[in-house]
Amino acid sequence: MMRAETFNHECWHCSRRTGLALVCLHCEAPQPLPPAADIFTVLGLPRRLVVDPHDLEDRYHAASRAVHPDRHQTASDRERELSLSASATVNRAYRTLRDPVARGRYWLELHGSPLGDRNNQVPPALAALVFETQEQLEALRDAGGAGAERGTVEAVRGELQDRVRALADELEERYATWDAADPGAPEVLAELKRRLSEIAYLSTLLDDVDETLAEGEHA
Amino acid sequence: MERVVGIDLGTTNSLVAVLDGDSPRVLPDPETGATLLPSAVAFLPGDEVRVGEAARALAAERPFDTILSVKRFMGLGLEHVSEEDRRRYRFVEGSQGVVRFAVAGREVTAPEVSAHVLRELKRWAEAALGGAVSKAVITVPAYFNDSQRQATKDAGRLAGLEVLRLVNEPTAASLAYGLNERAEGTIAVYDLGGGTFDVSILKLRAGVFEVLATNGDTRLGGDDLDARVTELLLAELPEALRSHPQIRAQVRAMAERAKRALSDAARTEVELTTPDGRRVQRAITRDEFEALVKDLVERTGRPSRQALKDAGLEPADVEEVVAVGGSTRVPLVRRYMQELFGRPPLVGIDPDQVVALGAGIQAGILTGGRRDMLLLDVIPLSLGIETMGGVFTRIIDRNVTIPVSHTEHFTTAVDNQTSVDVHVLQGERELAADNRSLARFSIPIEPLPAGVPRLECTFLIDANGILCVTASDLRSGRERTIEVKPSYGLTDEEIERMLEESFDHAEDDIRQRQLREARIDADTILHATQTSLARHADRLEPGEGDRIRSALSALAEARDGEDHNRIRDLYDQLSAATEPFAQRIMDSALHEALVSRPLEEL
Repeated sequence: MMRAETFNHECWHCSRRTGLALVCLHCEAPQPLPPAADIFTVLGLPRRLVVDPHDLEDRYHAASRAVHPDRHQTASDRERELSLSASATVNRAYRTLRDPVARGRYWLELHGSPLGDRNNQVPPALAALVFETQEQLEALRDAGGAGAERGTVEAVRGELQDRVRALADELEERYATWDAADPGAPEVLAELKRRLSEIAYLSTLLDDVDETLAEGEHA
Repeated sequence: MERVVGIDLGTTNSLVAVLDGDSPRVLPDPETGATLLPSAVAFLPGDEVRVGEAARALAAERPFDTILSVKRFMGLGLEHVSEEDRRRYRFVEGSQGVVRFAVAGREVTAPEVSAHVLRELKRWAEAALGGAVSKAVITVPAYFNDSQRQATKDAGRLAGLEVLRLVNEPTAASLAYGLNERAEGTIAVYDLGGGTFDVSILKLRAGVFEVLATNGDTRLGGDDLDARVTELLLAELPEALRSHPQIRAQVRAMAERAKRALSDAARTEVELTTPDGRRVQRAITRDEFEALVKDLVERTGRPSRQALKDAGLEPADVEEVVAVGGSTRVPLVRRYMQELFGRPPLVGIDPDQVVALGAGIQAGILTGGRRDMLLLDVIPLSLGIETMGGVFTRIIDRNVTIPVSHTEHFTTAVDNQTSVDVHVLQGERELAADNRSLARFSIPIEPLPAGVPRLECTFLIDANGILCVTASDLRSGRERTIEVKPSYGLTDEEIERMLEESFDHAEDDIRQRQLREARIDADTILHATQTSLARHADRLEPGEGDRIRSALSALAEARDGEDHNRIRDLYDQLSAATEPFAQRIMDSALHEALVSRPLEEL
């Protein structure tokens, strides 16, 4: 949870000074989040690319215990409303920060350089792999989703999964290096973006593979 | 403080529980002591309704008017009703696409039928707790969509219960299990009930119950196993009997009993008496039963594997598998669970009670009774909106922890457009038409050139898994009220109307009860007076016998009438007329007792 370091925040409910906590330190009423609060701040974490998963989970559980609607069921309408929105924010923070890829994407947004939803351009490093996979998928569809082509595509799926996993692991290693220098530096952001688009592209390809294999099962 | 109860509103049976101190307990029927209330409602002519065992007993006699398994129809439209169900009940289409049952000269929706079950449980709870109960936690299958959840909430409202929370059944079960076993780690809850199948993967840590993924099939349960046996038995009957609704209902009940028997025995016999008095006997073996239902049981495999996959786990990562729902008593189901998760299922708590006990715990959590426990549940199905070309655009993914919110921006496509229409759906398919329509709504805007208006729409899924939508005009900063038309649900006005009607009926119900009670009291005094007149005629004063006899016949006549006040009045008159007579009998009885005792005792 957030610590009351620099803030002289006053609780809307009991009017006592409560700092920048998710819930009032005195009356436990959920506090409205500052509009510009980033999700690191929501869980009381420093703005860094590396996040310790155990610490993150502990913070998430503690924050949930404080703000979850189950804890404010018998309170006033305003408290219940605040609890609902704070809880949704805490959930989003945890969902984003626990996954290194989602965390990376959020980092880019935070630095005004979002990845964007549509990645139509094939990252050069993947061009050959993508082309080959598309051909294999086409062959599987022509074969009615069965036969030797299915075995080939299943093998490709395994390779793609391994590759995405390896890229995500590599990303985490880079996070430590970048944090040690300057994680907001333009060259770091550019490199992060390149790596994330590779992962995004492979993930989309993996979805296509899964979908084609599933079509085969229905046929 | 008023107690909040937890209710398992099941397909076949329903239960009510409460948290007592630190642990939950199931509350019984005050008359019979039973803890399972069959989720059966029978509608009789003249507005009479029977619930539970009394209703189930009428199923064979009045198959169309006795609704069993109403849960399978919650939040559905007529187009979702199967052929078999259309043969079983009479349906009419109501407003908002909601199905209505035509029963005993009237039409009722699924939430109204469920409300009768809830009202009965409320009565049980009030009797057990000795006070009014008006708030409840109600469980729903984890895989219930928004419409089905809303319908359950409506049923609660109609029964006079404020539904504080809808809890997913497997999650509720995990609460009871976690409390009982003090478990930590990753567990799978496999819940095969009467009509629905759910599987949830959870992580239990330091009092936090976090659902990692859930999946299921809201149209698969013990009822389907019964249907297979029913088909088998019906196929062997002569054609003329096969289509007979009463015979079908009788065979259905027989099939259900045979299924239960085969959980313990390798062989069972069923016997049917036909209307012409012939008896038909047949033996069923467990092997034959298992061959009949094997494919149904295996239909639980795909959702189980998908839930594991969505949780990012392998079967070996699951440390414990919890069996929930009566259908997990079937040995084939248990063997299949073991095959899926590689370990024998845990059946420590009665699979019929575990969900209700969990609901009782959740009721306690909400009222501060268990501050140490916290549930973090997920949305079972992705939520999205229809976009250009009938495409389903996902805005909230399945298995995301709730509450969750998502903000979407809209603008206009043509000049001077006065509203933006949004169609919300739920499901996993690519095309909007293949998913379940939840609601349509229209956001009013000021007429401006195309693309100029900027609307912000927030989709919030609350802790019940129910969607709330709010919108604001970013240009004016004004909140916009949205009129949401549920695709398959009751509107607020309809619920209000039903509530008013049920209050009218509630008056009828009270009158009926007062009449019944007055008659019972009348019978008691009539019987006692007649006995005393016969036995102690010698103790009557002159003229007293005639006075008593005339009061007696007046009450006897009123007792067969409908006016409980008149019965009460005449009861009082008879009671007054007999009082001196009764006193004399008492005195003489006492005198006799005294004189017949040995002297030394006095």
